[in-house]
Amino acid sequence: MANGNISVIKIRDILLVTVPSDPDDCTVSELQEQVLSSMERHSAKGLILDISTVETIDSFFARTVSETVKMVALMGGLTVLSGMRACVAITTTQLGLSLDKTLTALDVDRAMELLSDTLNRSEGRK
Amino acid sequence: MKKQKNASTPKSLDSEENFRLLVDSVTDYAIMMIDPEGHVTSWNTGAEKILGFHSEEIIGKHFSCFYTSEALASGIPRNELDLASTQGRIENEGLRKRKDGTFFWANTIITPLCDEKGIIFGYTNITRELSDRKKADYTRSLIEASLDPLVTIAPDGKITDVNAATETITGCSRSELIGTDFSNYFTSSEKASDGYRQVFREGQVRDYPLEIRNSDGRVTSVLYNASVYRDESGAVVGVFAAARDITERKLSEERIKQQSQEILELSTPVMQVWQGVVAVPLIGCLDSQRTQQFMERLLDRIVETNSPVALVDIMGVPTIDTQTAQHLIETITAVRLLGAQVVLTGVRPAIAQTLVHLGIDLSGITTRSSLAAGLLVALDLLKLQVVNKSDNR
Amino acid sequence: MNSHCKGEMPIDTENDIVMARKYVREAAVALGFGVTDVTRIVTATSELTRNIYVYAGSGIIRWHPINGNAAGLELVFEDHGPGIADVSLALKPGYTTSKGLGMGLPGSKRLMDEMEVLSEIGKGTIIRIRKWLKR
Repeated sequence: MANGNISVIKIRDILLVTVPSDPDDCTVSELQEQVLSSMERHSAKGLILDISTVETIDSFFARTVSETVKMVALMGGLTVLSGMRACVAITTTQLGLSLDKTLTALDVDRAMELLSDTLNRSEGRK
Repeated sequence: MKKQKNASTPKSLDSEENFRLLVDSVTDYAIMMIDPEGHVTSWNTGAEKILGFHSEEIIGKHFSCFYTSEALASGIPRNELDLASTQGRIENEGLRKRKDGTFFWANTIITPLCDEKGIIFGYTNITRELSDRKKADYTRSLIEASLDPLVTIAPDGKITDVNAATETITGCSRSELIGTDFSNYFTSSEKASDGYRQVFREGQVRDYPLEIRNSDGRVTSVLYNASVYRDESGAVVGVFAAARDITERKLSEERIKQQSQEILELSTPVMQVWQGVVAVPLIGCLDSQRTQQFMERLLDRIVETNSPVALVDIMGVPTIDTQTAQHLIETITAVRLLGAQVVLTGVRPAIAQTLVHLGIDLSGITTRSSLAAGLLVALDLLKLQVVNKSDNR
Repeated sequence: MNSHCKGEMPIDTENDIVMARKYVREAAVALGFGVTDVTRIVTATSELTRNIYVYAGSGIIRWHPINGNAAGLELVFEDHGPGIADVSLALKPGYTTSKGLGMGLPGSKRLMDEMEVLSEIGKGTIIRIRKWLKR
């Protein structure tokens, strides 16, 4: 699967990354690299990982995603996982992967809303 | 029976008496006289022996009491008299009934008795019990009439005999079936061979499930009941196996399964109670299967209605054990992965006590005692507020 | 329909994991599994083929429908890798020897209806999983 399949769109200070539907392990690793370098390049504060087309999440994928969330956090960014399918959510839970502490949203719209709310709140606190 | 002289009859007796003695001495034949309407007028020792009635019991009774109810319903006794009258004699074979209600296969000859003017004043009826071969024929006719496929199998697994129902269910004729392997006619020949071997080993099997494959490809689910049969010396000759078609039974089992599935679905309706809020009242016990069902429906509806909040009401759940709680936690975790949140409502005092006593940690989950309180939480999460109109100052 | 439901393929490269997921998905869909069960089967396939790739280097996956009183799908994962020293330990959540979350084997077991693990040190591993069609 070519790297070109990962689309990264910047909306203000938020990056929207669409994960391809059936990525191989290389693509998943590549995704992490690309997300981190884009976060740095654009000085983004938030990241939306849109997984609405993803049909399977196995432990490797889940591990890479939760690692990425931690790495983005270390770089001062906040990640929202959006659009997980119902059947994938059930399977992931049953597999024993709860993706604890990862923010989630039903779709990209709600993810944007959640990110701007949370970011504004932390701005206001400063 | 016309009057006739017999050489051994003592000459001192007149011919009438002579004849009566002759008839009476015959014990292998039931010989009776019948009046034109069919009532018995005389009865010999043979008739008493074969049919079981004493002459005083039967004289005056209608001779139709020797027939089966089926024969009576078709008017056979009357027909036979009519036929005998027109043809001068009638001979046939059929089932006859004894006084004790048992049946036997019989040969009957009825001959009309005419006076000088040719007017019938009665009939003679001679009935004799037929041989064992005829009895075997009768048994055979019962076997053929059976709707259950019947088959006999030799110790080497070859079919030795079948009935008509077996021909129908396999789509093969008797001559095609006999001599071939019994196991050829099933979806699993291994299971079929195991089955008849078990009969030879243990003497019988009961309700052994197999699937018969028809030559046209159709498959019939059957249960076999089989036992060994022996010759006069007691040696096992083969297996007699009867199949029962359970297609109907299977269908109704399917139907019941489907219905319980429908009930399962009915019992967990997921309703949208507000823009962005779905609610599901859980009623009854939560086993694994129901939880799976409920989880799938709830998650699908959350995605469908794009609802960030789901109210799960457990007011109708009688008891919660560790497993049920685990199922609930799993559901709540899956909902969170979607990007929605569960508010658990209807937590009654007894349930709250049980949860704490079992050491089940629901601390990461928003819980409320009533659905109304839960709805307020949901609205708050959606940044909505319920305002009293009169407070609008 | 049966052409999709039965098959096998070697697992030699990382990309074979993706291909195995694709073929098994087609088989599960053709057999009439619902979307959630399809996802469960495909996810277990992904876990177990990755185990082959990571631990044994190469192996084979086979899949075929189960007929008879209950219908379903059976998948067999076979490799000649190092084997699993303690199968019951490997089936406990959290156990791992390599990258991953230690959810591979126990997680796959939870996703399926049945799982059998046969393993011999130095010889290899055979894992058989089954999912029944619920009607």
